[in-house]
Amino acid sequence: MSDSLISETVKDAVQIAKDHNGDVHEHDVHAGDNHSDDHGGHHTSLGLSNTKLAMWLFLGSECLLFGGLISTYMLYRNRHSENLGPDQLWDIPFTSATSFVLLTSSLTMVLAVSAANRKDLRNTKIYLGVTALLGALFLAGQIYEFTVFYREGLGFTTSLFSSSFFTLTGFHGVHVSIGIIMLVAMIGMLSKEKVSGDEAEAVEMVGLYWHFVDIVWIIIFTLVYLIPA
Amino acid sequence: MTYDLNMSHQSPTTKMQAVETTTTLRSVTSSRLVRTLVACSLAALVAGCATDAPQDTWQPKGPNSQMINDLDWVVFGIAGVVGVVVFSVLAFAIWKYRDRGQPIPEQTHGKPALEIGLTILPALILVGIAIPTVGTIMDLNETADTECIVNVTGQQWWWEIDYPVQDGCGGIDEPIVTSGQMVIEAGTKVLVRGTSRDVIHSWWIPSLNGKRDMVPGRIHTVRLEADEPGIFAGQCTEFCGLSHANMRMEVIAMNTADFAVWKSNQTQDYVAPAVGSLAAEGESTFISQCSRCHQVDGLTDSNDELIISRPDQNVWSGAAPNLSNLMTRNTFAGASWDLLSKQCRPGVWDADPSTIGAAYLDGVTETCLNEVELREWLRNAPAKKPMYADPELLEETDGLVRGMPYLALSEDQIDQLVAYLLERK
Amino acid sequence: MAIIERPAEAPATTNRGSAPTPKASTNYGYLRRPVETTGWRSWAFTVDHKKIGIMYGAVAMFFFILGGLEAALIRLQLAGPDGTILSADKYNQMFTMHATTMVFLFVMPMAAAFANYFIPLQIGARDVAFPRLNALSLWVFVFGGVFLNTSWFLGGGADGGWFMYAPNSSVPFSPTNGVDFWGLGLQITGIASLVGAINLIVTVLNMRAPGMSMMKMPIFTWMAFVVQMLLLFAIPVITVALFLLMFQRSFGAQFFSVEAGADPLLWQHLFWIFGHPEVYILVLPSFGIISEVLPVFSKKPLFGYPFVVFSGAAIGFVGWGVWAHHMFASGLGPVSVAVFSVATMAIAVPTGVKIINWTLTLWGGKLTFTTAMLFAVGLIVQFTIGGLSGVTHAVAPSDTQQTDTYYIVAHFHYVIFGGAVLGLFSGFYYWWPKVFGKLLSEPLGKWNFWLMIAGMNLTFGPMHIIGLQGQPRRMYRWTEFRAGEGFFNLGFWNLVATIGTFILGVGILLFLINVWITHRPNSKTPPAPADPWDARSLEWITSSPPKEYNFARTPQVSQLDEFFHRKYEDVGEGDKHEYVQKMTGEEVIQFEEDNADPNIHLPAPSYWPMVLAFALPVMAYGVIYNTLLIVAGGAIATMAMFGWALEPADAESSDFDPPVEGDETSKELANV
Repeated sequence: MSDSLISETVKDAVQIAKDHNGDVHEHDVHAGDNHSDDHGGHHTSLGLSNTKLAMWLFLGSECLLFGGLISTYMLYRNRHSENLGPDQLWDIPFTSATSFVLLTSSLTMVLAVSAANRKDLRNTKIYLGVTALLGALFLAGQIYEFTVFYREGLGFTTSLFSSSFFTLTGFHGVHVSIGIIMLVAMIGMLSKEKVSGDEAEAVEMVGLYWHFVDIVWIIIFTLVYLIPA
Repeated sequence: MTYDLNMSHQSPTTKMQAVETTTTLRSVTSSRLVRTLVACSLAALVAGCATDAPQDTWQPKGPNSQMINDLDWVVFGIAGVVGVVVFSVLAFAIWKYRDRGQPIPEQTHGKPALEIGLTILPALILVGIAIPTVGTIMDLNETADTECIVNVTGQQWWWEIDYPVQDGCGGIDEPIVTSGQMVIEAGTKVLVRGTSRDVIHSWWIPSLNGKRDMVPGRIHTVRLEADEPGIFAGQCTEFCGLSHANMRMEVIAMNTADFAVWKSNQTQDYVAPAVGSLAAEGESTFISQCSRCHQVDGLTDSNDELIISRPDQNVWSGAAPNLSNLMTRNTFAGASWDLLSKQCRPGVWDADPSTIGAAYLDGVTETCLNEVELREWLRNAPAKKPMYADPELLEETDGLVRGMPYLALSEDQIDQLVAYLLERK
Repeated sequence: MAIIERPAEAPATTNRGSAPTPKASTNYGYLRRPVETTGWRSWAFTVDHKKIGIMYGAVAMFFFILGGLEAALIRLQLAGPDGTILSADKYNQMFTMHATTMVFLFVMPMAAAFANYFIPLQIGARDVAFPRLNALSLWVFVFGGVFLNTSWFLGGGADGGWFMYAPNSSVPFSPTNGVDFWGLGLQITGIASLVGAINLIVTVLNMRAPGMSMMKMPIFTWMAFVVQMLLLFAIPVITVALFLLMFQRSFGAQFFSVEAGADPLLWQHLFWIFGHPEVYILVLPSFGIISEVLPVFSKKPLFGYPFVVFSGAAIGFVGWGVWAHHMFASGLGPVSVAVFSVATMAIAVPTGVKIINWTLTLWGGKLTFTTAMLFAVGLIVQFTIGGLSGVTHAVAPSDTQQTDTYYIVAHFHYVIFGGAVLGLFSGFYYWWPKVFGKLLSEPLGKWNFWLMIAGMNLTFGPMHIIGLQGQPRRMYRWTEFRAGEGFFNLGFWNLVATIGTFILGVGILLFLINVWITHRPNSKTPPAPADPWDARSLEWITSSPPKEYNFARTPQVSQLDEFFHRKYEDVGEGDKHEYVQKMTGEEVIQFEEDNADPNIHLPAPSYWPMVLAFALPVMAYGVIYNTLLIVAGGAIATMAMFGWALEPADAESSDFDPPVEGDETSKELANV
């Protein structure tokens, strides 16, 4: 294996150099591409844009963040006083409804990305707006739910169950909030043409993040709400 | 543009002085010297160990530690051989392939067959280690053969040791509570069940078994068995806060007869000091100053009611050592200081197995008491052993005391207490 | 974007200092770009991966000295029985902060320094994928490290040991703010590592020069790449643990309060799921460094390159399945212990593969023992000792006798000092001429090496004995009663270890002296030649130090050890090999310069990374002292993020003084 990989004969460096020199430099050569507005789509080794790759990596890392939080919740979910546990608190129909709202926002996000790919700026902004609105609706539902729990006596420090529940869902809520800020900022930047680089790709990036947050919610909803302790 | 290789070495542009500086291992002789030195230092390592270190892990005194040590010999042996082989090959390569003007070697990137072979070899060696390892792990976790159960409870920074009522341990009819020193019968398979009242501690008697963390909210077990009577030193080995270094313990193994005597000593009724004696004054000082935290079984107050120590909410762990039989133990304050004076200590600690039980049962008498350190302790405990017990720091520690606070006792009170404590046997 | 317009006749070398400094005007509504190419601004706001790498290294070196002083105090305290130099409280802070500093503020950022500087150079890129994020990583690390250490002046450092086991880390047991500083500080440096990891992974995956497939990448880049993957997945786990700790200590949650029903082992699992990969995060970069150094000074390619790559990756994977071997005494139950025990032995195999391959790289070579080479060989020897003692811990029953004693302290210092630190020093000597254009003194370097080797073996060698004979770690005092009898009692070895520490300290001091002698004003050290070691990999196919844009033209790669094969030709026939030099290193570099790329775009410097980084410690102080500070920090962060997002890609014409007229190609930032 290593033999085939390596023992290539020593090549004539001058020849290589000449071949290389023969390349026509269609693009200038860049260092880094966070400033890539005027030279989008240049060469990368994988053919995947740097920012998109970075987002995938970030989301991979986020999986372990939520993995840790979910594990903590699963460990502690039965450690609560008798009358302040999931059985007394969960309002499954309500949470199902807000979950459905969040899932719908993934659909509108898909529509936004597809509109952006068609360079349909107007529809892109509309769908991004709807997505943000649905996200906000979900968030409002979560805040309402937290308020109800709090009124019933479940504070952040009430029990191990409550601490780990609020930590897990709170972290998710923060992620949704950041997503909404990103969506709104994207609409603003699209309007003022401030997006650096490929606009469709920028929208797609937000979309990746948004879908990830949705998928995490599906897992949380299943593990926390649907599966009985 | 093509140079002869040797010529290129003279080319001032490609060759740096730095590279040409002489190699450090100058000659065959010096490399031999190095190897001789290595061999000597290895020998020195083995010869260079302390003798009779009380916590030596390589001097097993019971079957559990023996099992571990048997495994140690295998593993250290294999590791030693592997080390010698690796270093020999390396030393040879360093000596043999120094730059002596030889041509540039073949630019080979390896030989897969050799590589695979050299990957399988360490894997096989490790399989050889893994098999006895797994067997020993299982053996060391066996609990079905237990002959005696002793509970230990760690707290900052001492161990409470209690013997629940059981048929084991030769029969225990009345719970025994002590601290710092666990007394067992030699040759008995003891199962220690441990937990903690505050943070994680670790129970470790190296000559009897490996360590086991004692975690609050959980009960962990560890086997102990001593082949012969003796005193086996140990130490808390999970960092447990400020005075972690001052949390020690011992296991004392004795023969069956001595152990029976010890058990009955521990359960005998309270003997009040003679009226009018210094110790009697000590009793009332004890009641006013100490009994809130320290239990002495059978001690009664002025209304003839039994005094039960109830450390209030200000004491984190909610307990202090039971002093009913203090002078039957020979260490105090987390087994960090001797109750026996320097003169009397060897008489017990260095006694041979046949007499050690009796020597230990003699307890600490007035002549043998390490009065200096006991008085220092009573005078200002936190100065001797750092503890979160300074009233001025209470605020910072959430108002919770750990360990014994400074009690501002007068010298007279200390005299009285020493006299009183001397009778707690 | 700054555009470097290359003049038709490029001078071969550039004098950095003499570049005319464009003075910036401030005629704009928002901040102008800090476009200076000299002075402190050219460092503070730079996005150049090389300057960032150098700053990473300098700050890490500062923390190395700090951590070393802490170690010296620890050893002084333990030189004799019942030491009184430090109080119990101070001692506990000292060993906690020593470990924290060395792990998080020295070895990790020093490895990041090498990765930052050399990954782009080794893969033929002009910078990392996200230069401003790179600057952010640096400043977040710097501010996080400083924040962590301000605890010394604000009530004392953390005192729970570097793995900070719960519940000892809770407020009642550690009432000062030390643990808060520790948790928040690590949270901040964790952000630096995570951002850096994403950045470098993208760089390695996406910015390789034409022809450089993954299996033609220099081995250091490979190992650094594996490390970044480990960081990517390990950091979020410690992030969760640290959040739980923060909620516990600052916001009343009870994740580790046993009286509320919590399980203290949760912390241990979370910490070690992070903590064990962390060990490989510490050593793999150094493995990469010596895998570069050994072939160069053996005149031979790395033996079994694919095996070394795959074993590195294997260590990276298996490293996730062995965390509980730190918990053999925690009471996991025999089945878990057996499984983790065997898994731990399994990880010894790829580690052994590395040692075998290094040895076989030397075998049949043409060895020259420069200081860099000595450190590399030193690593093999010292790490092997640490590896073998590691196998004795893998045997769980033996580990229950060894863990939390000085034997384990000896083990991980042989691994981390012998493995990681010696490799870093090898890298210093090897790459110093590349980075700074001057060679460090070799004679002094050898003194440096031998004193460090003698010092470390005298310091950590006796700890094997001390530990096996029963002295636990983390005790502020030891007693003669437990030290045994005879001349070689534990007191003797404790004293030897303390003496060794100071020999080690002198060795490290010699390195600093070496740097000073080389770079002091009026230093007689001549500039280093372009290819002082007859090197093999891509980073040497450019001037030393490299120019802002790294390569005059993007190199075309055809094989592993590209530089070597451009210099030498095999004129042998069949199985007989004979290598003749067809070009010198200088000629190869000159050839590249002569065929330079016409236009090179470099990213413009920016204030925002530093501003955003600054916001983090402000928020962290807020968590400890006053909620208003959290708000203030949040405001700064928000401002920085908007500034960052809205920052135009190019520096505006008006950022320059005088403002530049005409099209952007005239905006020269660098004097080529």
